[in-house]
Amino acid sequence: MVKLNKIRSLSEAVASVRDGSHLFLSGFAISRNAIAVAHELIRQNKRELTLSQCIGAMDADLLVGAGAVKRYIYGGGSLDRFGPLWNINRAIEQGAIEVDEFSGLSMALRFLGGSLGLPCIPIQSLLGSDILKNLLNKEVPEVKVTECPFTGEKMVLLKTLQPDVAFVHVQKADCTGNAIIQGPRWDEDAAKAADQIVIVADEIIPTELTPFLVEEVRIPAGRVSMVVHQPYGAHPTSLYGVYDYDREHLTEYASMARTPDGMQEYLDRYVRGVKDFSAYLEAVGGLEKMIRIKADALKKY
Amino acid sequence: MPEANYSKGEIMAAAGAREIKDGQNIVVGLGLPQVAALLAKNTHAPNISMINEQGVVGFSPVDPAVGMADPRMWYKATYFNSFIGTLGSFLHRGKVDIGFLGALEVDQFGNMNSTMVGGPGNTIRHFTGSGGANDIASLAKNIMIIMRHEKRKLRAAVQYITSPGYLGEGNLRQSTGLKGGGPWRVITDKAVLGFDRARGRMKLLSIHPGVELDDVLENTGFELLRDEQLPATVPPTAEELKLLREVIDPTGMYI
Repeated sequence: MVKLNKIRSLSEAVASVRDGSHLFLSGFAISRNAIAVAHELIRQNKRELTLSQCIGAMDADLLVGAGAVKRYIYGGGSLDRFGPLWNINRAIEQGAIEVDEFSGLSMALRFLGGSLGLPCIPIQSLLGSDILKNLLNKEVPEVKVTECPFTGEKMVLLKTLQPDVAFVHVQKADCTGNAIIQGPRWDEDAAKAADQIVIVADEIIPTELTPFLVEEVRIPAGRVSMVVHQPYGAHPTSLYGVYDYDREHLTEYASMARTPDGMQEYLDRYVRGVKDFSAYLEAVGGLEKMIRIKADALKKY
Repeated sequence: MPEANYSKGEIMAAAGAREIKDGQNIVVGLGLPQVAALLAKNTHAPNISMINEQGVVGFSPVDPAVGMADPRMWYKATYFNSFIGTLGSFLHRGKVDIGFLGALEVDQFGNMNSTMVGGPGNTIRHFTGSGGANDIASLAKNIMIIMRHEKRKLRAAVQYITSPGYLGEGNLRQSTGLKGGGPWRVITDKAVLGFDRARGRMKLLSIHPGVELDDVLENTGFELLRDEQLPATVPPTAEELKLLREVIDPTGMYI
């Protein structure tokens, strides 16, 4: 028997996304973002996307800046000290896209419930806040204030989330889809909530090695549809244990994304104007830069 | 009064550290909260568990970080998980003793805004939003806020409640169903403030040495509860200053 090989090119994997899909991208602020995927979605001119994330990140900010997003569901976010998520904030300020703003844990629970196939899940935060008030005022609210049928305690019932496709950038995966996530894994439940999981791995390991690394496997092959091999695919965000965030490039992004014109210039220079992700990596400094941001074996950054 | 031999950041970190008890579970953010928690850990509270909402527990950073998502903040962590493993099984389970929060604005009831402020006309400026802040404010036993003491930041009412304090006068917080204890300390560069928890109102507890009462009152956008006699905040000790300057924040990034 031959083992199923789920390896696809980045462009093939992204081509399978239909306009209007609901996507999850693995980024959290400036760590482990699905940047290569965001670039390819922009190059293939995908439109009308719904994106959901626990915490907003650069991958989503790129797609919002490129006009690919119709609706964004998140729990707040920034580029840490590099600055705000300029494109997302601007879209909210101008009412340019539909945004559902939750908290970090309420988003995490919506994904956890989704990963279990549950239609809803309760939480006991959000109560009394303007976050809740705004969510209740939506045309089709996805939250409801209710009481526990057993204890009578107040709680907020959250509609769970099940994205069509989750793109998850990880350190390592084998060609059948067993995916290793090192460091914190804010995205694991969200990935498992999705109908299809696409793993984007910086490194492909032989399937024979997987049983020896089983403690680190967080997403099992049985849930994974495709595997993409994309070294440095999270750049300029960090990949724990593999490379640090690129301070220089994040600074450049944060300054260009500050204005709509600057953002378009950024997209022309680094996304639409390059042939593929390898060309982008060359444009941001190539091998010399990649060596400079390589993680220290002890510190992992 | 002799010239202080410490910075504003140093007295804020020391005041914050002293509110921490050994063995507590503490959710910290970047900057002064992390510095205060590390000072406590290096002095009287070696057994605290520091928790980062992203899914990182028990970390001991040695290099200055740009945020919670910076792996510098995860150095020497003893537990990796997810939101569910931190804000879930610690926080929602009721096992977080102190949650540190920052905010754009805080009001007299301890309600916090980190989402948006109004601009000219009907415009708004949108900021970070909640992250874990709303969950922490809702569910931690005690909330400690570290912020600059300015009238536009300490307001009668916040423009948007991202994270609930006592919501209003009286027991509104409880009747709303919030299980956490609510705001407990606000440490500024001028004073240490607390709350009359039964009334849900902010109260002045101590003033930093060299700061006048009028300076505190003029820079607060609402009437503070206060006792007749107000103590001075205990300044950082020589040992605390040495730790802050040589071990915890040697590059002076936050202090």
